[in-house]
Amino acid sequence: MRWGCFGGQVLHRIWTAACLAADLPAATVLHATCGEAELAVWRTATGRVAAWTDRCPHRGMRLSHGFVRGEALSCIYHGWTYGADGACRRIPAHPEVVPPASIRAEVFSVIEADGIVWVAPQGTTAAPPDLAGFEPVRALTVNQSLAGIDAHLGGAFSPPGGALRKSHIQGQSVGLWLQPLGPDRLTLVGLIGAGAGVAPRVMLSRWLEDLRRRAETKVTA
Amino acid sequence: MTIARANLDAWYPVAMAADLPPPPGRTTQMLGQDIRVFRGLTGAVGVTDATGQPLQVRERFGHVWTSPGSPVQDLFTIPEAEPADRRLVDCGVVRVKCSPLRAVENFLDIAHFPFVHTDILGAEPHTEVNRYEVKIREDSDEVWATKVTFYQPQAAKSAAGGGVTEYMYRVAAPTAAVLYKTCPARPEAWDVIAIFVQPLAEDLCDVWPWMALYDDITPQAELIAFQQMIFLQDRSILENQIPRLLPLDPGKEIPTQADMTSVAYRRWLKRRGLTYGALSVAE
Repeated sequence: MRWGCFGGQVLHRIWTAACLAADLPAATVLHATCGEAELAVWRTATGRVAAWTDRCPHRGMRLSHGFVRGEALSCIYHGWTYGADGACRRIPAHPEVVPPASIRAEVFSVIEADGIVWVAPQGTTAAPPDLAGFEPVRALTVNQSLAGIDAHLGGAFSPPGGALRKSHIQGQSVGLWLQPLGPDRLTLVGLIGAGAGVAPRVMLSRWLEDLRRRAETKVTA
Repeated sequence: MTIARANLDAWYPVAMAADLPPPPGRTTQMLGQDIRVFRGLTGAVGVTDATGQPLQVRERFGHVWTSPGSPVQDLFTIPEAEPADRRLVDCGVVRVKCSPLRAVENFLDIAHFPFVHTDILGAEPHTEVNRYEVKIREDSDEVWATKVTFYQPQAAKSAAGGGVTEYMYRVAAPTAAVLYKTCPARPEAWDVIAIFVQPLAEDLCDVWPWMALYDDITPQAELIAFQQMIFLQDRSILENQIPRLLPLDPGKEIPTQADMTSVAYRRWLKRRGLTYGALSVAE
């Protein structure tokens, strides 16, 4: 299964969970990673999602520090404004000038499915991962390798080494979506059976925090 | 790494003159090398390199300047800042994780005022940058931008309200820039504000803002706080530009007419071979 193809290599043409859809409200922007690329992921006022290289082509400022107004993202440095298609629409220092079409943000593919914003290199056409009916509860970044977190999970989740793993915690059906962001960094999305109430979601959220704490603690002899 | 000759033969700020310990002094860095700065018992300022050898020293504009090499030109002067009735303000230091060249370039930029110094040095919808003049003055070998105008809600601590401010910008050394701006208290004179950037490493610098103003009213602490607020806003930008080094070759970034000063500064650096803190072609 292609979602299990890990091992530190750059993940081309594979969808990466950038954030939960619920963590990206309308008219906001946040920072995410996709393989080795750093991204600005943002949502227009009407709900459209876009993901770009986190760099304004003007002076290299991170676009994830920018601001959303209506259907456009603006860089915080000089206010250069880009539409959701990545094209620069406005350069405030020259309000009368129509920006040339060559001024564009570097666009990534983005898709919103099962409550997750998935990102991938432009042109990715594959369907996003199937989360087997689970609902996402929380996404965390963990500074640990996949093998390192495996050691903490033990055999409780199956299949071992898979991107989507299933188990039960306190009788509740839960899942984990695991995706390396580099050799020692990964995204961990906690999933729960559809229709679960608030209490089990809180339980899973705390369990994820505890897992991250343990996984990031350096073992001393 | 090999440091370009032009960079070795330049002047750099390394301390505030009013804040110097006795020998053996304080350790700091210049172009990645440890140096020590002190004020001796006779009152003279000293700077020594990593091997203990003394380096050339100038005490000027409230700061200590030195050079790891043999500068052809003496340290620049700011004649406009010399009148005795000016308030001279040492603003302290801000450490910034960026190329010293990016810190200078940001200081030369006005188009960011409405977005980074919102409602102080600029405000929407007054974002337009009018055409101004830029030239490299061959006699002094400095970059100058003149006839720069911009609408500002609060141009200075002493400014009562909004208005159009006129600026001149000057790159006087590879990592030192001076601006002259309309003085709220004396329309016939210029306020002088400078940043002296100490290149600790290619991607790390200490920035020493300094001012020579006509302002008899504002307490010193408020003048310093105002300038520090402005520069901390700049730091939030400078530490988030990618890459941290300044690209000198066209193509990596996209300048517009408003960026003429930046374009001239990059050309000037490249022509003089001032590559410390710059992104080389190969990268």
